[in-house]
Amino acid sequence: MEEHAILEKEIDKGDFSRGGEASSELKALLRKLGINNTIIRRAAIVTYELEMNIIIHSEGGNIKAAVSSDEIFIYIDDEGPGIEDLEKAFQPGYSTASDEVREMGFGAGMGLVNVKNYSDQLEIDTAPGEGTSIKVVIAIK
Amino acid sequence: MIQQHSVLLKEELCEGCTNCVKDCPTKAIRVHQGKATIKEELCIDCAECIRTCAYHAKYTRTDSIEDIADYDYPVALVPPSFYGQFIDYSPGQVIKGLYKLGFKGVYDVAMAAEALTYKTIDFLKNTKELYISSSCPVVVRLIKLLYPELIDQLIPFKPPTELMAQSVRKELLDSGLSEQKLGIFLVTPCPGKTSTVHNPLGVDRSFIDKAIPVDKVYHSLLEVMDKKNSESEGKKGLTPYLGIKWGQSGGEVDLIKPAILNKTIAVSGIHNVKDILEEISRNNITDIRYCELSACTGGCVGGVLNVINPFQAKYNLKKLAEEHNKAVNQDYCLYSYQLSSEFKPVEVARLDSDIEKAMEKLAQLEKEIDLLPGLDCAACGAPDCQTLAEDIVTGKAKRSDCIFILREQVEDLADQMSELAHSIPPIMRKKRREEKAGTQKEVLKGENNKNESK
Ligand code: SF4
Ligand code: SF4
Repeated sequence: MEEHAILEKEIDKGDFSRGGEASSELKALLRKLGINNTIIRRAAIVTYELEMNIIIHSEGGNIKAAVSSDEIFIYIDDEGPGIEDLEKAFQPGYSTASDEVREMGFGAGMGLVNVKNYSDQLEIDTAPGEGTSIKVVIAIK
Repeated sequence: MIQQHSVLLKEELCEGCTNCVKDCPTKAIRVHQGKATIKEELCIDCAECIRTCAYHAKYTRTDSIEDIADYDYPVALVPPSFYGQFIDYSPGQVIKGLYKLGFKGVYDVAMAAEALTYKTIDFLKNTKELYISSSCPVVVRLIKLLYPELIDQLIPFKPPTELMAQSVRKELLDSGLSEQKLGIFLVTPCPGKTSTVHNPLGVDRSFIDKAIPVDKVYHSLLEVMDKKNSESEGKKGLTPYLGIKWGQSGGEVDLIKPAILNKTIAVSGIHNVKDILEEISRNNITDIRYCELSACTGGCVGGVLNVINPFQAKYNLKKLAEEHNKAVNQDYCLYSYQLSSEFKPVEVARLDSDIEKAMEKLAQLEKEIDLLPGLDCAACGAPDCQTLAEDIVTGKAKRSDCIFILREQVEDLADQMSELAHSIPPIMRKKRREEKAGTQKEVLKGENNKNESK
């Protein structure tokens, strides 16, 4: 099925004030396409976690979203430390966020766990020092 | 046809200023030909536009106190916030006053609010998720329209007004009163509650017959109420109930929070409510189990149909609640809490029922957005460029409604005209030059004539 790009956004490191923008925008766009509300919610949660990941853990990156008639695709690409130990990153509560960030109520270590729980397909391409690319697929039906 | 909405517009008063357009939380207003119009399918009767409009072009459609005469047995439902309107008159006097105005019964919605408190606590004890209060109809409509993904997190019970109306109706009909004779009047602080009479939420048909605004009852009451110190209790005796706390922001959670380890928040004001719903929707609210949300700042005391300043009213209400800090003796099982009609999403956002076509329109929309200046100035009559783009794609507006585009188009046109002027075929140009020279001669001649006549 053909993918139509619907969203593309640059995200700066540490820019908490704009955290959630991509998620809200994607939600509004998916609603215009008439996609089921539960699916929209999942896409919104995944997008939010991913954009916050970029803000908290990376040196900046971008987020893209696309849809086909039966799937939603969410891609992120960031520059940064990469993920050292993927297995650990999927353990609930595991976090590498700084105390400062945690004090703000972020970085509780549920990010990737949530992403996994709410997506149908998750591909992560990362290596220490080389940034992270993530692809999430959520089925529309 | 009975109108579904309570917030309406007096066209003759509208100056087309677009202030309301920008303030409306659901982007329901457009100004066309210098006059505002409200898109019914998007309006949630929050009354923000009534608050914003300096020309008083927005108003509330309501029933009137004279309608009491249409019923043999009219009764009044008093919402918790109403008592906050008075400081010199006790609740007992207010109730007595309502009897004097012609009501044959006066009932406190606070009673049902109190019962609902316990029902909600029971419900929350058996769940782990975050739940949202469904007592403010405007909040429920906002969720149905803009946050349908949160519908399942609404407390699945009738709001206090309907609970009370249902119980009163049953009590009176059981006692032998005939249905036609009974008229249940809600004294309402807001158009949001007024709308629920004709456009019910959570029930197939509202148990309330009419809604009269606080401001209309207030003055009639002042005329008939006894002055202070002539305390007289209402029909139910023990009034007000602890449930009157529900009349102001924070009251609901005050009663609920001890049972759930204080894991509650209270948010008021429609724009704050939108913000918190956005966060809930992206799962970014942690540890909280119950959200009390009120569309009006300060809760129902901030309803637009009230008379007293919301903060004074809040103070009055709190004071009363402290004085009467006890629960009413009632059987909570007597209310029927279950919704008889589920909260359902209102789907108006989609561009097309076919997803492929919707995607094409979305691409068109993106293009349209790129063309617009992105200043969100509202001079086109839509709240922002995004909305104008949507209106263009759905055929409800023109690109030239944007004054910047219009200006560009005029500029282009001017360029084209000047270009055209210079591209006149040479033969004609010569002719035109002669003609021009001719008129110049005429003018000269005329001036000469003037000189001569001197
Ligand atoms: S009542 Fe509220 S939703 Fe309706 S038009 Fe006015 S501001 Fe918009
Ligand atoms: S908060 Fe405002 S809109 Fe909501 S029920 Fe109370 S008075 Fe009505």
